Amino acid sequence: MSTKFEGFKNLKGKQEIVLNAICLLFAVAFLVLALSNLRWAGDVMTIDSLFVMSVFFLLALVFLINPLWWAHQHGLFENAFGVGTEADYPAEEVHFEGSTKLFLAVLLGLLALTIVEVILAYFKVSLHIMLTLLIGLSLIKAAMIMAWFMHLKYERLSLVFTLIPALVMCICLMFILFPDSNRNRNLRPSEIKQTQVGAEK
Amino acid sequence: MATEVHTDHLIADEWSGGALPYRVGHKKLGMWLFIVSDALTFTAMLMAYSYARYTSDEWATPFAFSPSILFSTTMTLCLLASSFTMVMAVRASAHRNKRAARRWIGATMLGGLLFLGLHIYEWGHLIEEGLRPFSLPGEWVERWPQASPLFGASFFAITGLHMFHVFTGVAYLGMVAARIRRRTHEDVEICGLYWHFVDLVWMFVFPLIYIMSFDPAPPQHAKAAAGFVITHLFR
Repeated sequence: MSTKFEGFKNLKGKQEIVLNAICLLFAVAFLVLALSNLRWAGDVMTIDSLFVMSVFFLLALVFLINPLWWAHQHGLFENAFGVGTEADYPAEEVHFEGSTKLFLAVLLGLLALTIVEVILAYFKVSLHIMLTLLIGLSLIKAAMIMAWFMHLKYERLSLVFTLIPALVMCICLMFILFPDSNRNRNLRPSEIKQTQVGAEK
Repeated sequence: MATEVHTDHLIADEWSGGALPYRVGHKKLGMWLFIVSDALTFTAMLMAYSYARYTSDEWATPFAFSPSILFSTTMTLCLLASSFTMVMAVRASAHRNKRAARRWIGATMLGGLLFLGLHIYEWGHLIEEGLRPFSLPGEWVERWPQASPLFGASFFAITGLHMFHVFTGVAYLGMVAARIRRRTHEDVEICGLYWHFVDLVWMFVFPLIYIMSFDPAPPQHAKAAAGFVITHLFR
């Protein structure tokens, strides 16, 4: 292990460590904020609370990216994403991993999750739980398609880091519309709302 | 020209030019960036639909199992199967078997066309029933008196945009397959990426539009049919 940390001796190495330590500190601070919100906010399952939590987790993730990348560069959790080194994949040669069996297994998994989603429609669960389950299953399906069908599992980690966090971040930023839709709904005069106030849609 | 590539380089070396930091070609990177931006377009549409649905007092849930859910599930199976054939096409192309790649792409296009046919049939069914972008059929209004008329707008806009993507994808695949001998492996891979993305979007459209609007209490004739089957089965 000690040979990997020889960079500590020169200034550049120290700079990197200080910057990463600051980033790590921020990430921990945001995680603590999120957890304290969970502990002391009272009712967590409100849209405001969930939004604040997601913002804290996202900021923690953003600050974690650099230290994690640095750690990866220095040999920690090597090959966590199944990415090979230069020697494994010479640039000129077309490489393609995965066998027919693997792709068939992925296809069967996707089909099974789809069937589960359809069956779920028959269960009389509350709308929130239903929505959470459906979105969760769909995220799993999307990840399976991206990892194996779109070949992202075998691409470099740098490509994954360029594409996915930005996408997730932008999608999460769109959640800012939901408090407004809630407000919009409650603004409506009650005589128009009649009996449908708490109706499940 | 022949520069030695070090395996244990730092970020600065890798990003200072002269290297391929992502180790994908510029075309493929371009397709990935397009996919990310297109994913955001679809997310915005789905968010607008969720906003409209959450903010209105009632939302029509008209999709009974018999035509709608059955159709959309079959469409999902079509898309998933075509995604599988696409990945097999890319695999054949990686093994320099262009003829097999063309055949697999043909199968993928068939899946896409089947999807399109089923989808257009289903649209026709809904339009016949009286669904319009900004008004609901009379029957639905009777059943869900407070329902927002935006159902049609969100349904037609989201599934229409997706249908347009499927159509474009079939045309794109056809263009790649027609002159596959002149295409590189990367070209086949890129059109595969696009096709998988179309599949991926449907994985969110299907549960949010169809399953979330599942009709828990089927209309009288369906109930009667189910009762008929049950009584004759367990007589």
